[in-house]
Amino acid sequence: MDPLSQLSFILWGVPTTLAISILSFLSGLALGIPLAFIRVYMGKPFQVMVDLYEKILRGVPEIVMMLLLYFGVGLALGLKPFDEAFFAVTFALGLRSGANQSQIFRGAIRGVGESQMIAARSLGLPTSQAIIHVMIPQTFIIATPGLGSEYALLIKDSAYAFILGVLETMKRTDILRMTTFDTVFPYFASAFIYILLTFPLATYLDMWGSRKRKELGL
Amino acid sequence: MDFIIEFLPRIFDGFLVTIQVTFFGVIMGLALAIPLAIGDLYGGKIVSTIIKFYVEFFRGSALVAQLFIFYFSIPTLLNIRIDWFTVGLVAFTLNSAAYQKGYIKGAMESVYEDQMTAALSIGLSKVQAIIYVVLPQSLRIVIPAWSNEFCSLAKSTAALLTIGGKDLTAAGRTMASQTWRILESYTFIALIYFLWITTVMKALDILYNKVKIPGLEVSA
Amino acid sequence: MADTVMECRNLWKIYEKITAVKDVSLEIKEGEIKLLFGPSGSGKSTLARCLALLTTPTKGDVFHRGECLTRPGVNLNKARARIGFVFQHIWLFHHLTALGNVELGLRRVLKLPKKEARERATKALREVKMEEWANHYPAQLSGGQQQRVGIARALAMDPYIIILDEPTSALDPELIGEVTDTLRALAKKGTTMFIISHEMQFAREVADEMIFFNQGMIVEEGPPERFFTKPSSDRAKRFMERLIKRTTKE
Repeated sequence: MDPLSQLSFILWGVPTTLAISILSFLSGLALGIPLAFIRVYMGKPFQVMVDLYEKILRGVPEIVMMLLLYFGVGLALGLKPFDEAFFAVTFALGLRSGANQSQIFRGAIRGVGESQMIAARSLGLPTSQAIIHVMIPQTFIIATPGLGSEYALLIKDSAYAFILGVLETMKRTDILRMTTFDTVFPYFASAFIYILLTFPLATYLDMWGSRKRKELGL
Repeated sequence: MDFIIEFLPRIFDGFLVTIQVTFFGVIMGLALAIPLAIGDLYGGKIVSTIIKFYVEFFRGSALVAQLFIFYFSIPTLLNIRIDWFTVGLVAFTLNSAAYQKGYIKGAMESVYEDQMTAALSIGLSKVQAIIYVVLPQSLRIVIPAWSNEFCSLAKSTAALLTIGGKDLTAAGRTMASQTWRILESYTFIALIYFLWITTVMKALDILYNKVKIPGLEVSA
Repeated sequence: MADTVMECRNLWKIYEKITAVKDVSLEIKEGEIKLLFGPSGSGKSTLARCLALLTTPTKGDVFHRGECLTRPGVNLNKARARIGFVFQHIWLFHHLTALGNVELGLRRVLKLPKKEARERATKALREVKMEEWANHYPAQLSGGQQQRVGIARALAMDPYIIILDEPTSALDPELIGEVTDTLRALAKKGTTMFIISHEMQFAREVADEMIFFNQGMIVEEGPPERFFTKPSSDRAKRFMERLIKRTTKE
């Protein structure tokens, strides 16, 4: 196989890599935002629960989580759809990302500051409305660089999916190595592909975030 | 529970591997990150460009790809053999240094300007100013970020199993496949990770509060 | 005739867009106190930093006790060790106690043994009446106390001149007195000083000569009394009036 067709063989894994990372990022977002606001604005028992969730998800390796969900829950317990490797991987990364994003948003809420909340409440907005119309928009701006690196992290971590045999970039790289016996080109090529997937977006979001913050004086 | 007791020695061996690779990676990563941060800040354009490429390679690509490069590609290119344990030590050190360089550089920049000028004003040289003024403050500030780096490195050592490493996760997988107590095996392994990672992070938290400069509120 | 301690000739400092110091020459003699004042943004700090060799001038020369320090190959660290500098925003080393701040230069620059460094540092702290706060960290001290430690840090190195860049302007009004008192005591002992300050009462008491500085240039210089009675330039006159009005109001 010539290098070009080798490269295209690997590149066919990119859509799956993107699918895993985008879906787990969105699940993480859906989990992280409410968790962050619960942690900041609700009572002690909720705080303890959110903290525990974050501690567990940040204290257990992603790979162990995937093995646990796929082999343990999916295959041993037979719980659908965890017997689908793609689902198990995305679910595990989504849970982990939820914990990370909760922390990112919590930091951002602190960054926006108490005064914005008080100002919103002084207009007569109820807490929920104040959160939706005043806090969340500003929180997003501050959180953007953090979210950018979280997304890059998910792209890189999605490579663990190859352990469960999901046919994504890393798995295709490994197949290529086994069929061509070339131990050099495939790995450097895929490392380069991952850099292309992570670097521009994270850099752009970082720049956008700091520019926006400066503009708004946050 | 018998199956756990039966597998305990194996789990313990795997745990030792995980601990060794993690601590080695974090500490050697720090040792490498300090000169990288200093080089990036004061080394001029060429040095900082080289450092940028290094950092972008290790931060931008998937860890598994890095492990494979060290396990398969580099031995082929250099015509040598490297065992998985050595690959683990080297790859995790280089990977961690790339992340830690960013944290240390950030902390150094946050204390840099004013403190450097003040240090020069009493006659310290630039090198002395870095050693006696900038670094002692930066290293204190960097502990929370360092704790996060420890956490993510400790978790990513699980990827050793992809190059045939016999770490904690690999031991768990063996236990699961030999006993067919799959859910229990992985839960047990997850628990061990959770406990040791949380304990070390707590210890770093205590350390941070202990060496914190009295009265000073800072964030990196 | 006393010896010249510090001198600059035709000093220029040009940044990309602005010229901060324009062709300034001045001279300070042993035991003399010169006080520089002028509007903010006029380049006072830049001048002070050039004199202390913390900034490299674009053109012109700086001499310390007859030695030209703007020539290439001069060991600037060694030179800076004998020039005391006190910063507007204080800039103590956050991670060191008051004593540690004063000791650092003695130990690492002058390479004094531990015991001697401690003695000298304690003596310097005593001179600014901060001895009993020796073991406190900067963040545990008030602004005035911090600035006194800053003065002690400069003093301990046994400098032949102390340059003070608006030592009181970052302080709360009620804390200014303790710092100016410290400086008065130093003045009484004959310490050579170059002070940037707008504390006019203090200036009148301690300065041998005052310099009005505007737009990077020396506009007028002379004994304090002349500035307080009839400054010759219009700008200096107006600026003095404003300053005096402000101080009497407070």
